[in-house]
Amino acid sequence: MNAVALELDGLAVDFSGFRAVDGVSMAVAHGELRVLLGANGAGKTTLMDLISGKTKSTEGRVYVHGRDVTNQREHKIARAGVGRKFQIPSVFSGLTVRQNLEVAQSGQPGVFANLKMRLDTEAQERLDETLDLIGLTDEAETEAGVLSHGQTQWLELGMLMIQNASVILLDEPTAGMTAGETAKTAEIINRLKGKHTLLVVEHDMAFVRDIAERITVLHLGKVLAEGNVAFIENHPDVKAAYLGKQGIS
Amino acid sequence: MKTLFSSYHVWAYLAFAIVILALPLIGDEFWLNRVAKYLCYGMLGAAVALTWGYAGILNLGQGLFFGIGAYAMAMSLKLKSYTSMQQGSETPVPDFMLWNAEPGAPTDLCCITPGSWLWIPFQSQWVGLIVAVVLPAVFAYIMGRIIFGQRISGVFVSIITLALVLLTRLIVTDAQPLTNGFNGLTDLGWFTVFGVELDPYSKVTYMVVAVALIIVLALTRMLVATRAGTILQATRDSDTRALYLGYDVPAYQSFFFAVSAGIAGLAGMLYVIVAEFASPSFLELSFSVTMVVWAAVGGRGSILGACIGAILINMLEARVSETESLVEAWKLIIGFVFVIVVIYLPKGLSGLAHDLMSKLQSAPKLSSVQKEEAHQ
Ligand SMILES: Nc1ncnc2c1ncn2[C@@H]1O[C@H](COP(=O)(O)OP(=O)(O)OP(=O)(O)O)[C@@H](O)[C@H]1O
Ligand SMILES: [Mg+2]
Repeated sequence: MNAVALELDGLAVDFSGFRAVDGVSMAVAHGELRVLLGANGAGKTTLMDLISGKTKSTEGRVYVHGRDVTNQREHKIARAGVGRKFQIPSVFSGLTVRQNLEVAQSGQPGVFANLKMRLDTEAQERLDETLDLIGLTDEAETEAGVLSHGQTQWLELGMLMIQNASVILLDEPTAGMTAGETAKTAEIINRLKGKHTLLVVEHDMAFVRDIAERITVLHLGKVLAEGNVAFIENHPDVKAAYLGKQGIS
Repeated sequence: MKTLFSSYHVWAYLAFAIVILALPLIGDEFWLNRVAKYLCYGMLGAAVALTWGYAGILNLGQGLFFGIGAYAMAMSLKLKSYTSMQQGSETPVPDFMLWNAEPGAPTDLCCITPGSWLWIPFQSQWVGLIVAVVLPAVFAYIMGRIIFGQRISGVFVSIITLALVLLTRLIVTDAQPLTNGFNGLTDLGWFTVFGVELDPYSKVTYMVVAVALIIVLALTRMLVATRAGTILQATRDSDTRALYLGYDVPAYQSFFFAVSAGIAGLAGMLYVIVAEFASPSFLELSFSVTMVVWAAVGGRGSILGACIGAILINMLEARVSETESLVEAWKLIIGFVFVIVVIYLPKGLSGLAHDLMSKLQSAPKLSSVQKEEAHQ
């Protein structure tokens, strides 16, 4: 459990003078679930962009299981084991739920390796398990474009599971969900813990208490505080940063 | 479970194969020659569907690949023509090169006109055949790597492909001493396989085209049913999602773009064998746009659908052009059909057929459910 899965070392990006992420260093242990907290515009999404290769950093390094992946191309970073869920859910709308998960089994990503008809039995079983886990077994042959908002989010989570990403970045996985859907999402995320290393951006404190072990608070692109839920909730600097919002409720 | 050919698809492909193979029983050679041309267009429609429907890449310059295939084969067949043996040299030299040659230039492919040496390898018809398929594919692959590698997508790809086909047309018409410019390549010889000359007005030639089409359709359908085909459709829906799953999206797009180009090249090559000419009109924008209409009407989401769309529209056009008064109206009619299809039938005729079939297939299931409900 103590091996470091994701390590950031002085990561920063300079958008022509504006440093949206400004020297962030942190280490997330293997199997840990880390919550990233911060006000709007704190740089949470940008930090995920830097880790996953969407945005090129201007300073610092990113290590995944000790391997330097800084500023590599997106699919290379994905192959190194980083999976990502976006703030706006993104699935393959023209494909069925099953096909979405099939595509997500990207162990062999090359074109020629994929000129074959179907998955082996083991992969097929894993697919059915995942369908069950995200509660979409009945929707397996449904086109993903017609799923409800919650179902789309779960499908995307399922895709990250089956992709077998060792490090998973989740950007506001419960945004726009009903209370019932949020509870189910918490359940899914809790099952990911241990096997996968997770970095989760979340605003909903009830949800954070449900899933979090350690929290890192970002403020103006910098790490403001890091610790367990109780420590963060009582941290004077965090309270100050959220002033006017009556603390993090 | 989705199988490779879900039930009625297999039947649709089989029925199509049987119909086109049976046509020689009912038609004469002149009619078959005309149908063979439509089958080439059908192959072209399938090529458009592969990139447009499956990859979401609207290529407005598919004529470029058809044109390259056509010219490659036409160059070989031109050298086989009797008109190339009348220049008084030992080896064949196209007649138009003589007309365009500088006074005193040696009557030989090496140097009769600037660049005429490019024709030398085409003295073998097999070089023509291979170049017709491989050159479009290689060219498309390189093009794809550059375009898609820059994450260019959507309408910008269409604009680039459109510009390329027009540029090529300009070059081809301008290089008169090498390509015979606007006149294109005419008076061609015949392709020969195993000592059999492929007379364009023969049942053998028709069958060669028909069998080639069936093979291409079957292979393409199998290709899109592979995992790679599913991944390609995934990149169409969200290239970002595919990228973050670890797929090299430009590699997939370029690969299928190249396959589509190779098929278009093959179609162009076969077309020259049956039509006996290659012309810069293949590189006109209107031709490339017409192919897109075929695929839209037939259904870009279906390889067979787009192929049938191309054949039907061309048959209809031939019918219409027999009636003098309708000839002028044809462009209007086809434009109107296109608009109707885009608005009311976005999945084309094949989408319509698909909906009908799934209604028919689910009908019995529905009634059993209704029975159960009645029980309760
Ligand atoms: N490409 C860019 N160019 C310039 N500024 C950018 C760019 N991307 C993000 N920013 C800025 O960086 C800051 C951080 O944005 P970011 O999206 O990371 O915030 P966030 O913490 O995810 O906020 P939210 O909770 O609203 O999602 C914002 O002020 C944003 O406008
Ligand atoms: Mg954000």
